[in-house]
Amino acid sequence: MSSKINHHHHHHRFNTQIFPPPCPHLAEFRARNGSKPFRALQDCLRVKPPGGRAAIRRDPSEVPRCGACGESARPRLYACLACAAISCHAPPGPSHAAAHATSMPPGHEIAVDVDRAEIFCCACRDQVYDRDFDAAVVLSQTATLKSATIQSAKPENLRKRRRVDYRPWSPDIRDRVLMETGSSPLENGSDLPRGLRGLNNLGNTCFMNSVLQALLHTPPLRNYFLSDRHNRYYCKKKNGVSNSNAGGKRNVGTADGHGNKNARLCLACDMDAMFSAVFSGDRKPYSPAKFLYSWWQHASNLASYEQQDAHEFFISMLDGIHENVEKDRHKPHSQGHGDCCIAHRVFSGILRSDVMCMTCGFTSTTYDPCVDISLDLEPHQGGSSKSVSTKTHHSCNGEVDGMNPGQNCGISTLMGCLDRFTRPERLGADQKFFCQQCQVRQESLKQMSIRKLPLVSCFHIKRFEHSSIRKMSRKVDRYLQFPFSLDMTPYLSSSILRNRFGNRIFPFDGDEPDASNEMSSEFELFAVVTHTGKLDAGHYVTYLRLSNQWYKCDDAWVTQVNENIVRAAQGYMMFYVQKMLYYKASENRAVS
Amino acid sequence: MRNSVNRPPTPDAAEDPGKEPTLQEIINIKLIESGEKERLMELLRERLIECGWKDEMKALCRAFIKKKGRSNVTVDDLVHVITPKGRASIPDSIKAELLQRIRAFLVQAAV
Repeated sequence: MSSKINHHHHHHRFNTQIFPPPCPHLAEFRARNGSKPFRALQDCLRVKPPGGRAAIRRDPSEVPRCGACGESARPRLYACLACAAISCHAPPGPSHAAAHATSMPPGHEIAVDVDRAEIFCCACRDQVYDRDFDAAVVLSQTATLKSATIQSAKPENLRKRRRVDYRPWSPDIRDRVLMETGSSPLENGSDLPRGLRGLNNLGNTCFMNSVLQALLHTPPLRNYFLSDRHNRYYCKKKNGVSNSNAGGKRNVGTADGHGNKNARLCLACDMDAMFSAVFSGDRKPYSPAKFLYSWWQHASNLASYEQQDAHEFFISMLDGIHENVEKDRHKPHSQGHGDCCIAHRVFSGILRSDVMCMTCGFTSTTYDPCVDISLDLEPHQGGSSKSVSTKTHHSCNGEVDGMNPGQNCGISTLMGCLDRFTRPERLGADQKFFCQQCQVRQESLKQMSIRKLPLVSCFHIKRFEHSSIRKMSRKVDRYLQFPFSLDMTPYLSSSILRNRFGNRIFPFDGDEPDASNEMSSEFELFAVVTHTGKLDAGHYVTYLRLSNQWYKCDDAWVTQVNENIVRAAQGYMMFYVQKMLYYKASENRAVS
Repeated sequence: MRNSVNRPPTPDAAEDPGKEPTLQEIINIKLIESGEKERLMELLRERLIECGWKDEMKALCRAFIKKKGRSNVTVDDLVHVITPKGRASIPDSIKAELLQRIRAFLVQAAV
């Protein structure tokens, strides 16, 4: 039996946390009770209602009460794992659980909390953890629920990124000579950070300029292009012949007249050209005309001088970069993995969606790649159970906010939006979901969570509301508070599942035995795209955070602004980068 | 209630015919049997998260563990230290809402 316990000892390091060794009483209990010490408990595990917490009841309708005093209303009732006697435990008052343990021969110290299905040592008076027990609880919960994962959609494995230590590099004499002969140094005449250059409005193109400013200063994207990873001259030479055919066919489809003349369409090449121009040191506003033209070819349905939605543009252009790489390589690339195009390598994350049938508890899980997260600013009235929460009831207008500052009442926050995004949502009678087990449409519970965070998280706030009932659209002007630093841990699948199952030593989805995981859930804000005006006519402006100083990019005009102006702005898209990739004020010094 | 085979010979107070259950006990049992208690608990959990009470308690627990050292704290120590503060800082509005729910249940259950 000792081998079993030893085996147990090897696994104390789990999910970056180090768990204490089991207390001597638990170890003894395991040694005494054979290979399946918790088997008797398995039949007593109850989960009610579907998706609820695990509890311990010998009989589904049992009302557990303390065997010593008859109390059933005590907050903590424990069932002895050796003899099933139930005792209360209410420190600092009398503990019948502890009394039970001492009055019995050794072996009655370990008990299980009847309402939480967590184990407790009455001698140590502390919660104890057992991997086998926790696995049994989680598995029985998922087994009675017959949880199914749509296997094809499950990410095979997010390859653990090996950490490479940072090694400073400085050029030796040979490198220096090579660099001096092969390049001309850029001048950074002003104190402004590099790459800060206005973009000319080419006719209602502020939607494009605002997003491009954010992308030009997206650290991993900028590093990619500035380190010549997509060289436009090389790309042209390499793909010039083969692509002109494909491009030609494509242009027929997009009903573009001069397809032959400008056959080669590669948005990444245009990005490369733009990065070169913007970071050249020239501060005169730049006209991204070539890029606009290419994008028009890519998204012909949006090619006009009309105002467009910045978010739609963002999605469409990432798609354009991705599509081109797809075409290039002729091999399948699954989005959400590290090996796709640069657009997806930077922006792509994986969302997890669980839908649980409220009748039988069957859960189906799907994983979907995403390049951004669209968040509702305000829950729709009625319909979803989420809107019942007090938070939304307390929501009040901006005027009221001013009267009681400091109170959270009424101020929507990005975290609030994310909470709502990951909260379980009841899909009621009007949106029943087909249950694979019941074989009919049933009421169900849906919960979203983030399986894998992207390097750069773009949050899109749904400010443009389209009501199909009233056949009209409107813009929601409500203020949304967003933090400069954001911790995404609570919205990860592992956290969401952990909350669902209680305190367990059990590997949940997304738990990786890698300490870097913890770090990568911290994000820093670096760009905010704001919108002012109405639904059909308005203006986009981007605020950029470079070396911890904020700059307002309003088409051709770039000005330095106070951070309070940014905090007060009406955010439409927020761009956050993983903290470890965010360059603080040190950036400038490193350059000089 | 079924007794376990190995159950120790402790007197079971609840099954003692000489003892009348109190009103409070009857209500508690009704709440459990109907599943209302579970719903109330869930509602309470949600409310306490929303108003920030849970985060506040978490911070208190963290501070206490930091002070004592992480291997010198048991769950009982935590419960002992945090419970008074926790009870005192539950917003009255939440207590009122739960009381209202319990009243409504009692009326409907005709206890």
